[in-house]
Amino acid sequence: MTSRKPILFFVLPFGLLFAAFYLAPIGYAIKQSLYKVTRTGTFGPAHEVFGGLEQYQRVFQNGPFWESVGRVLLFGVVQVPVMLGLALLLALLLDSGLVRGKRFFRLAFFVPYAIPGVVAAIMWGFLYSPNLSPFTAVTSNWNLLSADLVLWAMANVVTWVYVGYNMLIIYSALLAIPQEVYEAATIDGAGPWRTAWSIKIPLVMPAIVLTTVFSIIGTLQLLAEPQVFRTFSSAVSSTYTPNLTVYSTSSIPNFNLAAAFSVVLALATFVLSFTFLKFTSRGGDK
Amino acid sequence: MKKKLLGVLMTSALALTACSSSSDGGDEVAAGASSCAPASGGPVTLTFTSWIPKIEEVVKVWNDAHPEIQVKVQTGPNGNGGTYQNFFNQLKAGNAPDLGQIEYDALPSFRVQDGLTNLAACKPVTDAKDRFIDWTWNQVSFGEKDAVYGVPQDSGPMALFYRKDLFEKAGIPVPATWEEYAAAAVKVRAAGGYITNFSQSDINQFAGLAWQAGGRWFSNDGTKWTVNLQDEATTKVANYWQDLIAKKLVSAVPPWTTEWDSAYNKGQAWTWVSAVWGANSISSGAPDTSGKWAVAPMPQWTAGGKVAGNWGGSSTAVFKGSKHPYEAAQFAIWLNTSQEALTLLNEKANLYPATKDGATLPALGKGVDFYGGQKIYDVFAAAATQVTPDFTWGPTMTSTYASASDGFKAAVSGSGTLLDALKKAQTTTIDNLKSQSIPVAE
Repeated sequence: MTSRKPILFFVLPFGLLFAAFYLAPIGYAIKQSLYKVTRTGTFGPAHEVFGGLEQYQRVFQNGPFWESVGRVLLFGVVQVPVMLGLALLLALLLDSGLVRGKRFFRLAFFVPYAIPGVVAAIMWGFLYSPNLSPFTAVTSNWNLLSADLVLWAMANVVTWVYVGYNMLIIYSALLAIPQEVYEAATIDGAGPWRTAWSIKIPLVMPAIVLTTVFSIIGTLQLLAEPQVFRTFSSAVSSTYTPNLTVYSTSSIPNFNLAAAFSVVLALATFVLSFTFLKFTSRGGDK
Repeated sequence: MKKKLLGVLMTSALALTACSSSSDGGDEVAAGASSCAPASGGPVTLTFTSWIPKIEEVVKVWNDAHPEIQVKVQTGPNGNGGTYQNFFNQLKAGNAPDLGQIEYDALPSFRVQDGLTNLAACKPVTDAKDRFIDWTWNQVSFGEKDAVYGVPQDSGPMALFYRKDLFEKAGIPVPATWEEYAAAAVKVRAAGGYITNFSQSDINQFAGLAWQAGGRWFSNDGTKWTVNLQDEATTKVANYWQDLIAKKLVSAVPPWTTEWDSAYNKGQAWTWVSAVWGANSISSGAPDTSGKWAVAPMPQWTAGGKVAGNWGGSSTAVFKGSKHPYEAAQFAIWLNTSQEALTLLNEKANLYPATKDGATLPALGKGVDFYGGQKIYDVFAAAATQVTPDFTWGPTMTSTYASASDGFKAAVSGSGTLLDALKKAQTTTIDNLKSQSIPVAE
């Protein structure tokens, strides 16, 4: 029994911070989402009273919010496979021995991730803007900030930022594959393509699943890119992504409704991530 | 060791409960005029948040002269650009600054959130009432007795900024009516420019245009709000601009961006119907066009008319929870009525004072080099007297603006019209009022 004390001691710093900065805010958000404001007259003082699920009813009746959820799902369905496919390809290339200067490329691919998301979005925003872009040949023919293209313009920014990060996770999984496996494959007559397809990819599948879950969560929580692009593009509304809806609602300020939006968004993220995990792990059992 | 840790746990738990209970208590504070007594001894430090360019230099003058009331100034982005959201969050958290800059259109939003101190008990403030232009006082008092929720700072009478050189070169007369303005737009487009840039995401400009035409968006009879973003006058203005947008006679660069500045700096946009403080936006955003601009009265809906709109204008408000409303009110009065402060505010930020005798400020009688030496404030002084006083703002302008701006942005990208956007903004506004239990007529 005494051996538990040190465990408690080491877990406590994390536990405290986790409780203070994670559990407490979530609890507070849930509490807020269950309250509503009442007042008398046009400028009467506001009172917060328990409102049950009234805010949630508003969330489910809010058209723009669900449109924004649909928008990020579309974004995710296209952008996540493209980004992870690219990340996998780059990781395999780095691992294949075909590339010289591995260390340089590993760092070069990773550098965009070190740039804060807002800075990256501003930089790309300038590159896309017709009057400011140095690539006038492109921007004069295609308005990358128009309603049709801006979602994919943002997908490009997100991909640019995160591809290196995901590549690194997959690449370290590749490095962890024991050398004997490759030797066995070579003895069986597998070439580089065969090794990549039948050995490497199946063995790094857990890393790919992990990066997919991270990407799903990241996609649902898109905020910085659309927030920055609002100033560049007339196609990005104040409810373009779910998190932007939360942000605009809280700046009204309508904190109770914003809290309800956040809780619903968090639940949706949980459901999606766990469905994906469940789906992939069942596939792995076969 | 264990005890110590337990202690840490206990204190943090206590701190958490303390936080939540104090915020609960804050909601109970009743409205009404707060007391306005001087602090009992010792110097006072006030915090003040504003986005006026170079406000620090103005505050420094006060601080040097008043060692007993020191003001710490903090600057941020313009109100709807983020500062209002900070204010709302700070109010919710109970750590708002003592004083803040709030535009007239946002005052009802802050009042409805119970974020403002009523200064009606502060004698220096009520004594100054007659010094302010009537409609600005009306904005801070909401037309009520015993109510002063801020000290008027500046007003934003509107006029027409235009590129004198380009108009002369192209032989286009300066438009005096909106009809002439639309005709000029065609000629300007033929000359390779755009008559102006339509402000798609800053709805305040459109509000100023609607205000001029006689639009009235909100009214409050004390028991409920009435929202009407599509009255006859506003519809006329919306259709007018929709026509210019459809004919591609105006550009639609997002306002307040580098790209917007660049459009003016390169001479792509030839005019801007803007408020007096816009003089500063042009001179700082388009420095290469120095000396080429001039100011004319706002185009009129009826030939020979003399009606101006208003865009912006701020007040200095004391937030709820300030421990020193007396000292804060003194500073606010100095900042907005003293000749030295008003002169500085005009020189540094082209602010046009909200006081009646502000029009006679020596600084306002000078020619401005950027505008070819024109005495531009004469135009705005005339406009200030032509602003109709009875425009009321709603209590959730943030959401009204956001919704209208979403629709305006869609309209300039070719889907929907400005009128559709206003219709949608009206629905959203009413929904929002209802969701906050603010009574509203259907």
